[in-house]
Amino acid sequence: MSETSTAPQQEPAILEEEPRERVPWWQRFVTGSSTWIGLILVGLIVVFSALEYTSFVSSSNARNIATDAAVLLVLAVGMTYVIITAGIDLSVGAVLVFSGVVAAKLMNSVGGNNWGTILIGLVASLAAGLAWGTLNGFLVAKAKIPALIVTLGTLGMALGAALLITGGVDEREVPTKLIDTIGTGRVFNQVPYLVIIAFSVAIVFGIVLAMTRFGRNTYAIGSNEEAARRAGIAVDRHLIKVYALSGVLAGLAGFMNVARFATTTIGGHNTDNLQAIAAVVIGGTSLFGGIGTVLGSVFGVFIPAVLQNGFVIIGVQPFWQQVAVGAVLIGAVYLDQLRRRSVQNR
Amino acid sequence: MAEPLLEARGIVKNFGRVHALRGANFTVNSGEVVALVGDNGAGKSTLVKTLAGVLAPDAGEILFEGRPVAIHTPLEARALGIETVYQDLALAADLDPAANLFMGREVLRGGVLGKLGFLDKREMHRRADEAFKTLGIGLQDSSAPVANMSGGQRQGVAVSRAVTWASKVVFMDEPTAALGVVQTRHVLDLIRRVREQGLSVVLISHNMPEVFEVADRIEVLRLGERVAQFKTSDTTMEAVVGAMTGAIAQEAA
Amino acid sequence: MNEINSIRRERDQMSRKSTRGLRVLLAAGLSLAVAVGAGCGGGNNNNSTSGGGGSAQGKKLTLIAGVKGDEFYITMNCGAQAEAKKEGVSLNFQGPDQFDASLQTPIVNAVAAKKPDAILIAPTDTKAMYAPIKQAESNGSKIVLVDTTLDNASVAVSQIASDNLGGGKTAADTLAKLIGGKGKVFVNNVKPGISTTDLRAKGFQEGAKAAGLQYIGQQYNQDDPAKAASITKAIIAKNPDLKGIFATNLFGAEGTASALKEAGLLGKVKIVGFDAGPKQVRDLKEGLVQALIAQRPAQIGQLGVQQAVAALTDKPVKSKIATGFVSITKDNLSQNQNALYKASC
Repeated sequence: MSETSTAPQQEPAILEEEPRERVPWWQRFVTGSSTWIGLILVGLIVVFSALEYTSFVSSSNARNIATDAAVLLVLAVGMTYVIITAGIDLSVGAVLVFSGVVAAKLMNSVGGNNWGTILIGLVASLAAGLAWGTLNGFLVAKAKIPALIVTLGTLGMALGAALLITGGVDEREVPTKLIDTIGTGRVFNQVPYLVIIAFSVAIVFGIVLAMTRFGRNTYAIGSNEEAARRAGIAVDRHLIKVYALSGVLAGLAGFMNVARFATTTIGGHNTDNLQAIAAVVIGGTSLFGGIGTVLGSVFGVFIPAVLQNGFVIIGVQPFWQQVAVGAVLIGAVYLDQLRRRSVQNR
Repeated sequence: MAEPLLEARGIVKNFGRVHALRGANFTVNSGEVVALVGDNGAGKSTLVKTLAGVLAPDAGEILFEGRPVAIHTPLEARALGIETVYQDLALAADLDPAANLFMGREVLRGGVLGKLGFLDKREMHRRADEAFKTLGIGLQDSSAPVANMSGGQRQGVAVSRAVTWASKVVFMDEPTAALGVVQTRHVLDLIRRVREQGLSVVLISHNMPEVFEVADRIEVLRLGERVAQFKTSDTTMEAVVGAMTGAIAQEAA
Repeated sequence: MNEINSIRRERDQMSRKSTRGLRVLLAAGLSLAVAVGAGCGGGNNNNSTSGGGGSAQGKKLTLIAGVKGDEFYITMNCGAQAEAKKEGVSLNFQGPDQFDASLQTPIVNAVAAKKPDAILIAPTDTKAMYAPIKQAESNGSKIVLVDTTLDNASVAVSQIASDNLGGGKTAADTLAKLIGGKGKVFVNNVKPGISTTDLRAKGFQEGAKAAGLQYIGQQYNQDDPAKAASITKAIIAKNPDLKGIFATNLFGAEGTASALKEAGLLGKVKIVGFDAGPKQVRDLKEGLVQALIAQRPAQIGQLGVQQAVAALTDKPVKSKIATGFVSITKDNLSQNQNALYKASC
């Protein structure tokens, strides 16, 4: 085999190299997309701790940040899957509200202040979320309507349905047992149940995404849907499952929300969808699909949460907070893009 | 003469008002490399996609080892032992080569974990590395996404995938179109090696020298129909090009 | 020759990659510093200390509004800042983007971490805000509830609010006079679970009945002027003979007025609004709104700081203070300039 000196391409011939050792897992972790974002989060924590040690660094403050972020974290896990398939789900905030409404109404009509009632509420919440999610998935996969439009539509429908059921008035009676245990209770008097639920969801679905066939098919569809189809993956069915998952998690988030605030907060959660998307994107997931991790989304949820907490503690004027949070978000994503481009440059 | 391995008769495929295939015929025999040639728009890719189960023909029949079959999905084509290297490679750029190799056919862990769908990534990497080694494809980092690789390496991965899984026929749609001199040479060697393993290869190509180098037979498609069949050793490039452009018409329909 | 080139190329790539890593780290550090610097530099509400005696000197207070951009709370902050300066304490101002308990809670939590000596807060939900406020109180901060209150107010040393029930009644009486003593009236309310607006709506309903008006109901605009506007348009479409509307807060009044302006019902349907922000005063001058029931937010802020200081210096604290109203019309506008709300101190 002789190399022609006039060959236009200079890459070494495919033949000539032995395939090298696989890059060890720890090296892949260090150069992984979520690692940099994690470092930025650590950096923020370090900076705020240095500026206001006594206030910022305390178990109660850490607990509060985690509790405040718990509901959004659950939403972000579902959104990670959806965005990896190059889709999007704008309906999560509305499904959250709707599921909370259904759970609250059902628990109150059943009555009682025991685990049985609470379980009914939970099942109702998850079922409501599953229903909306499946509808989203079906319209995206089978009817081939763009996800942006579909989920915008279900956003309106879910919110409207919630307003219809409640007459526009928040359901403010919730079994006190629910509030005292899941809503505000703690394990070993240290870690709130809400935080445990949120992190359990993150761990379970993070593992599924990274290590199972379901997760890999998600990446494949997002990276090249046609290739996945040709490889024999049941793409339509998978997409329905992914959107259904996002819906179920929004349902769980709705239940957690009702447990915490003891009211359905119909008028709120307007920006939950954008916050979840921002968290997922900060965490290194590409809006074009095929790339992303749940771990990154966890970091992505905590960066704005730590920022807001830190800024309030430092005493920044409220309006500056928003400016700074927006700037840091753009900065974090830009840095990640730099890193990614440096790996790809050949 | 033994019956053909794969035969398509009278395939019709329309896309709206575009008649891509107008009763096309095609034949592949066991253990041979047959080139499917034709000018742009002749219908080569469409014919291949029909036989690969990606497109459903509007009319016509397909015979596999003498019996009529229906190939409605890529899975059905695979079940018959037919694999395809598409012109666009159909690789997921963000996944690594092993993941691409095993796409849709992942290896699961044993026991309970396997039933839950857990992947055996180590095993898949091992087998993928073996497959690449056998076919002489060197990858610097087989756990990096395919997007980071050169065109030639990506081609190698796509070909490895088809060759690893195929048990009867491999279709290759313009495999050397984007490659340089050295890599083209390598793909052609690969095709010969595949034939040595007992598989048939259908090579779609514009490149006459390449075709004459590896193909045993040549079938010419023009305007959606087969217009000629040649044995490579018995013909010339001029004759083939003539059939492609319509100067010579050998087959009635 | 080619080998040497490829080695050189590899070395270049590697060194580019390592400096790239360094550059990325530097960029990260810099952007952090900038963001934090921007934060730290800002804030004219950070410290206001001056002379003034007593052991309250140097104490740190925080005022948490119900929502950030609302002139009612801004005016309250102005009054509070002035009093803080007099007393020699520092007052920090915070607030959520929307009047929502799930948005106010993280802010209360962060403020609680700072353990200020006292927190003045307008809770956005009578129930949901109890837990975070209680946690702040357990950390040692004295709590003063300003404007809105909690169902369980035991966590606070003092509650200061307008007499909203009376305010609602006053609004009903004012509207009755404007529409000639009879006709259909409607309430454009915020959302249930806010103590102040709940009471105002209740007071209005009772007052309207007493005055012989036909009360056709209330709807909730979720503290969104756009929603308030669309509710108004829908109600008018359904009841073309509607005579008067009572809007229970600032955003509600804004939305109602703009809807009437678009519908060309200037002056035909009478509005009585709560709160006297700059836009509402403009509407009053233009005749869109006929009367504004102004609270005294600056006074609430001032009293809030006073009670907090009293609690911190072991002086007697008044557990409940009701502040009053001013009924402002076009005619008496010039005399009531200092009752108007400010957009900035």
